[in-house]
Amino acid sequence: MGERGTSAADSPESQRYQQLYDMLLEAIPSSVLLIDRDLRIVSANRNFLEKNRRTLPDTIGHRLDEVFPAIIIDQMDFPGRIRQVFEKNFRVKGERMTYRAPGIPLRIYYYSILPFSWQGVVELAMLLMDDVTEQVRLSEEVRRVERHLASVVESAQDIVLSTDMEGQVLTWNTAAEKLSGFTLYAVRGHNFSDFCAGDDQGEMERIFANFQAGREAQMAEVDLKTRDGGRIPVSWIFSPMKDHLGQTAGIVAVGRDLTERRKFEAQLLQTQKLAALGVMAGGIAHEIRNPLAVCSSAAQFIMAGDLDPQFQKECAEKIHAGILRASMIIENLLRFARPSVKPDIKELNLTTLLEETLSLVTNQARIDKIVLQAQWPREPIMISGMEGLLQQAFMNLLLNAIKAMPDGGGLGVALGQADGEAWVRISDTGQGIAPRDLDNIFDPFYTTAPVGQGTGLGLSICYSIIKQHFGTITVESGAGQGSTFTVRLPLL
Amino acid sequence: MTQRNNVILIVDDEPDMCWALEYILNKRGYVTCKALSAQEALELMAQQQFACAFLDAKLPDMDGLELGRLIRERAPDMRILMVSGYFYRDDVSIQEAIARGVIIDLISKPFLQAEILRVLET
Repeated sequence: MGERGTSAADSPESQRYQQLYDMLLEAIPSSVLLIDRDLRIVSANRNFLEKNRRTLPDTIGHRLDEVFPAIIIDQMDFPGRIRQVFEKNFRVKGERMTYRAPGIPLRIYYYSILPFSWQGVVELAMLLMDDVTEQVRLSEEVRRVERHLASVVESAQDIVLSTDMEGQVLTWNTAAEKLSGFTLYAVRGHNFSDFCAGDDQGEMERIFANFQAGREAQMAEVDLKTRDGGRIPVSWIFSPMKDHLGQTAGIVAVGRDLTERRKFEAQLLQTQKLAALGVMAGGIAHEIRNPLAVCSSAAQFIMAGDLDPQFQKECAEKIHAGILRASMIIENLLRFARPSVKPDIKELNLTTLLEETLSLVTNQARIDKIVLQAQWPREPIMISGMEGLLQQAFMNLLLNAIKAMPDGGGLGVALGQADGEAWVRISDTGQGIAPRDLDNIFDPFYTTAPVGQGTGLGLSICYSIIKQHFGTITVESGAGQGSTFTVRLPLL
Repeated sequence: MTQRNNVILIVDDEPDMCWALEYILNKRGYVTCKALSAQEALELMAQQQFACAFLDAKLPDMDGLELGRLIRERAPDMRILMVSGYFYRDDVSIQEAIARGVIIDLISKPFLQAEILRVLET
């Protein structure tokens, strides 16, 4: 394309080359300009014209500074470089040029200037420009994404680490360093299990063995050792890290520090317990003041003196019985109110536990004109669990049942064992639960009680306590038909 | 004054409470009659007249205040006293019951013998 100012006396053979040259020039995805000694453009291919929104007539024969923006010519020192090409047969290779021109989107080029020599004389300079805008943009994007990902991992509050298939630590983020006190330098190349608390190391090794056997993501609660000799509870999600062929190349672990959550859970349990105590308080006051009144009266009778010895003995017996009754109520109450910071798992008789729990709400039930019907099995039902927590769970269920019967009714408690499980059934003849609420009753803060009369935590706490004991809790109910909660726990 | 008018009704589901009140009142010369539930109390009321009643606040089959209202309908002149460990004097429901003349007064458990007699005899 364009005129190259060569002789017109063309042989068919040279016409053939001319056609081939033109074709190549049009086809290559680069801009190609031929420039003469006077910095005039002799030839320009279509790629150049299109990119620069020019036509042949306003390009060919024009000086370089009429075609390129002055600022680019100055910055790139085109005249100087082209002169060198002509004078020294020198080639300029692979320089980068940012091309800003009015009305044209910013482009980035790699350009070369090559001398075209004929019989030892440089006749023309060829300016080759490759548009690398997209490549530059992509590689910058890749770098930006890489930086972004790295800062996501580094800024995360959660532990993010990776290991190879054998469990040797490859990466370990800032959160991991902060929480454990071990730097990446200290852990890299070491077995991750070595940084898990002693009694959890077996669990960790089992997880890695599962990955080697082809398991997908796994979840676990494994304590992490800290540099100062302590341990922190961490909830982990381990996922296989796949390479581009889909093969598992390593393991990524994301871990969340559970310290705060554990504290919060303990507080929540205690708060809910205090709320339950508030509900019980009225009944308890009544229940304690009755024996106190009997004691007080009997004491006054004795103080008045001049009593028949038989009656005096009767008074003393009433005082003694009254004191025992009042202190029993207080003892049960204290046992319930005591925070269970470090719950101990032990063998316990579910029947005894339920009898004790029921005795705490007997007063409240009586006040609300509720008839208790308890069926106690003769044989002990032994389970393994945390006494305080289980008592809290059953207390919640009993208080709920009482609350469901503001106008009195029947509260049934039954328990037994079958198929390796202990079961406890707590039923009421109260207002029941509407079908639309049934799905939500174990959700935290879900309550149908008016504001101030229910925290909406009772059943969700029951649920989590029973879950902790590897049990289940189910409910059958219909509006106006009463409700029956069934708790199943594994037998010892 | 006939003896009948001196009979006092004691309503409490706690037998030992009845025992204590009976002793205090009998010693003073009153004749007493006890009921362990509201139902029992109403049945006794249908059979005879009472000068006064001591009611527990929480009975197995009915609230003491509700029983007080029923008694008041049947015997407008009867003196009704509440003896309770459940309420305290400033309770709204107690203040209301006193203002409406359902009960004369509230005696908190535990109580002094003298208090029982003072409230009864003033």
